[in-house]
Amino acid sequence: MPEVMTPSQAAWAHFRGSIGVRIGLAILAVLVAGAVYAPFLSSEAALLWNDGSGWTSPVLGELFNRKTYAKPYDLVFNLFAVTLPFTLAIAWWFRGTWSWPRRILLIAGVPLVAALVMVVPIPRDDGGWRSLWRGYPPESRSLSAHLADPGTVRAVFTPIGHQWDQTYAGAVLKEPGTVNAATGRPFLLGTDSRGQDVLARMLFGGRISLTIGFVATGIAMAIGILIGAVSGYFGGWVDLLLQRIVEIMMCFPTFILILIVVSALGRDIFIIILVQGLTGWAGDARLVRGEVLVQSSRDYVLAGRALGLGRVRIMFRHILPNCMTPLLIGAVFGIAGAVLGESGLSFIGLGDPNAPSWGQLLNQGRENIHMSWLIWTPGLAVFALVSALYLVGNGLRAAFDPKAR
Amino acid sequence: MLAYLLRRMLWMVPTFLGILIINFAVLRMQDVSLAETLVGGGEAGERQADGKQMAAQVQGHLVKLRRTGRDLPALLNTRGFIGPEGIVERLRAAERVGTTKDSDAFRAEVELWSGGSLLVEPLAGVLRDPAQARYHGPAATALTYAMMPIVLPETAERQGVAWVEAARTRIQELERLRVGYRNERGTGFATTDPKVADKVARLLVLVDATPGEWDRSTRRWTALVGETGFTDFFAKLLTGTLYSETRKQPVWDLIAERWQISFTYNFIAIAIGWIGAVLIGIRSARRMNTFEDKATTQVLFLTWSLPSFFVGTLFLHLLCTDHPGGRTAWFPNRGILSPDHAWMSTWEWLKDAAWHATLPLIVLCYGSFTSLSRYMRGSLLDQLGSDYARTARAKGVDEDGVVYRHTVPNSMITMITLGSGLLASLFGGSVIVEQIFSIPGLGQLLLDAAIQRDAPLVMGSTIISVGLLLIGILIADILYAVVDPRVRARYA
Repeated sequence: MPEVMTPSQAAWAHFRGSIGVRIGLAILAVLVAGAVYAPFLSSEAALLWNDGSGWTSPVLGELFNRKTYAKPYDLVFNLFAVTLPFTLAIAWWFRGTWSWPRRILLIAGVPLVAALVMVVPIPRDDGGWRSLWRGYPPESRSLSAHLADPGTVRAVFTPIGHQWDQTYAGAVLKEPGTVNAATGRPFLLGTDSRGQDVLARMLFGGRISLTIGFVATGIAMAIGILIGAVSGYFGGWVDLLLQRIVEIMMCFPTFILILIVVSALGRDIFIIILVQGLTGWAGDARLVRGEVLVQSSRDYVLAGRALGLGRVRIMFRHILPNCMTPLLIGAVFGIAGAVLGESGLSFIGLGDPNAPSWGQLLNQGRENIHMSWLIWTPGLAVFALVSALYLVGNGLRAAFDPKAR
Repeated sequence: MLAYLLRRMLWMVPTFLGILIINFAVLRMQDVSLAETLVGGGEAGERQADGKQMAAQVQGHLVKLRRTGRDLPALLNTRGFIGPEGIVERLRAAERVGTTKDSDAFRAEVELWSGGSLLVEPLAGVLRDPAQARYHGPAATALTYAMMPIVLPETAERQGVAWVEAARTRIQELERLRVGYRNERGTGFATTDPKVADKVARLLVLVDATPGEWDRSTRRWTALVGETGFTDFFAKLLTGTLYSETRKQPVWDLIAERWQISFTYNFIAIAIGWIGAVLIGIRSARRMNTFEDKATTQVLFLTWSLPSFFVGTLFLHLLCTDHPGGRTAWFPNRGILSPDHAWMSTWEWLKDAAWHATLPLIVLCYGSFTSLSRYMRGSLLDQLGSDYARTARAKGVDEDGVVYRHTVPNSMITMITLGSGLLASLFGGSVIVEQIFSIPGLGQLLLDAAIQRDAPLVMGSTIISVGLLLIGILIADILYAVVDPRVRARYA
């Protein structure tokens, strides 16, 4: 490490050195890995299967099957699962030689390119490139099929071995550790009131929480940045008007708004995301406005103006990048808020009925109040995710806010 | 002071209007059209719009639509300007000929049925025109629905027995006069009723019997904005005649039974949360960077990350449930009072209420400690390091005096602003807490209404919640002026 550091280098060093941040990032990494690799950890289909005609990988073949994974965000996560090793390998290969923006571009770009190649043709054509991997009914290469008739098959299965949306006969509200008669595997975290494996649902539920958190916050940030920047930079009556709107949004009980919109438009995960994004921008707008007001009086803005740069260019190329740090901190807390909002909504029974959300499991715990595993598991998962985000956000604030340091 | 308050109250008007408009939009977004409710979307084209078969169903839906004003256009009612030609044009669109899709045709045909009395005149005009004999079947059916008086069970009493009797006889008579017809693919409308001429004539006689009722010469202008969904909604809201769809009671009555509970709980929770946060904040600031301060920070961080629905369920599981091992519950698990509260003495009653309120209040208010007390700590630290605090110390004021007499009042300004923000989040949170502890408050009413998709009840309880919220914000504004002399000076 060089002896002389720029302020931002010092801040990042401070950020990385903090114990809280390390714990937070570790928890986040575990949760994200669990969500991304959920199909490999918990699926009925075999990881590897050899019935005499060579090794195949049914799990891999299932990944982009729209019948198994009906929700679009599941496909995105599966895509990440496939491309993440390559992305990480490339990022490691180029470490030190690439600037941060390029690395981020790469990490986002690999899955995007892969998506264009792989996912786009799928809805149109039932066969397509997947027929290389498939061409057999997936049910025939599952754990229960193997248990019923082992034959001469050699197979490797997923560690948990239960499908998240599979209802198992005679497995309603079983305690953790109960062995499933159909698959011979234990339910490590018990089953819920419909006879589904809690652990499998937890892993796939992490996908929903992460999707909600990132997408809703992304939407809210985009709106907030735009409104805040316009309001702060143009000032005058535009500012006055936008500030009134922000004020109205601030004292709007967003949870109640989400409640009524979801009840009217239907309990779909994307409606929930959209409503959360469309209602959560007020804080971001206020933050950006304040920051823009501070930055606008700096010398570099004056210099830009003297050079004859346009307003929009000064705004988006010069001022906004300088406002990003507080926004980043705000975004981390925004993600935590969105996660809490979604789990709260599914907890009171207004979540997407077709999605295995953590809040929904906790709701089952409330209905079966003696089943402690239905309460502790999802509750601690939400707690872990939110506190990890808090630790990271707090670390960012401590590192970048000189007053806090 | 008065000018300041008026100004603050004026700013609340757009907020409240925003809520009303969102509510109205939500109301209109629910499955509105008669066609969709009749066939449940989808395969509309499969069915024949057979007036005779559907009569009972249509009547039921017209009553439902009337209850919330969904039978009227949202913002502009131009039905008064539709002439006989307009009707014929619509019927042509409803004919299953040429390239018209069956489902579109069905929709166009059924839409005419919910047109209301403004359409009686043009429909009668079509029936009087022998050149349009082809459309007499559907037009006569639409006319019977347009002329049908809609009897809402909840308002029937107010309109009087005679009116209801007259309405019943007319509905029966109209049912007898409904004309059978077919709408076949390729051939279009064809009357199948042998007595069509007779029925049409009798319908027209019925129309002519009460010409004043169908006269639209001036009504078409007043109806333009006077008979729209929006005005209907507002009129019902203001006169208190908004009726719940699932409970058949006025929305305001349902709310009146419950709002005090939510209000009291939230009020107490805010008081505890706010005062507690202020005390924690002062303590942390005075012991800045000691072990106690750091430990408080960590504990508060843990409570901030604990979702209230998890804590509530956990309380219910650990403290409110009889466990098989023999331990009985420490706290009651539902409601605000024991079932036998009517026989209690005042002291026992108070104890019982406190007993029921303990856990819900903890769940409601623990979340507000973290952010509020951090702000309090930060703002007090700023004040303690300022020049006037140093001056006070220099002239010999002891530390307690510096904190409580000089710096804390100045920190209150931020705390009051934050307190009003707390209100908004609490109202959302009370939905969850009331659901967990089965507290019959406004939040539970709202949630039930949302799950059952009872639009009027959702609107009513949202409006009341937001109204209470705005009152809370107004109180915060008043306190703001009390605490901050600058505000008073500016508006003096």
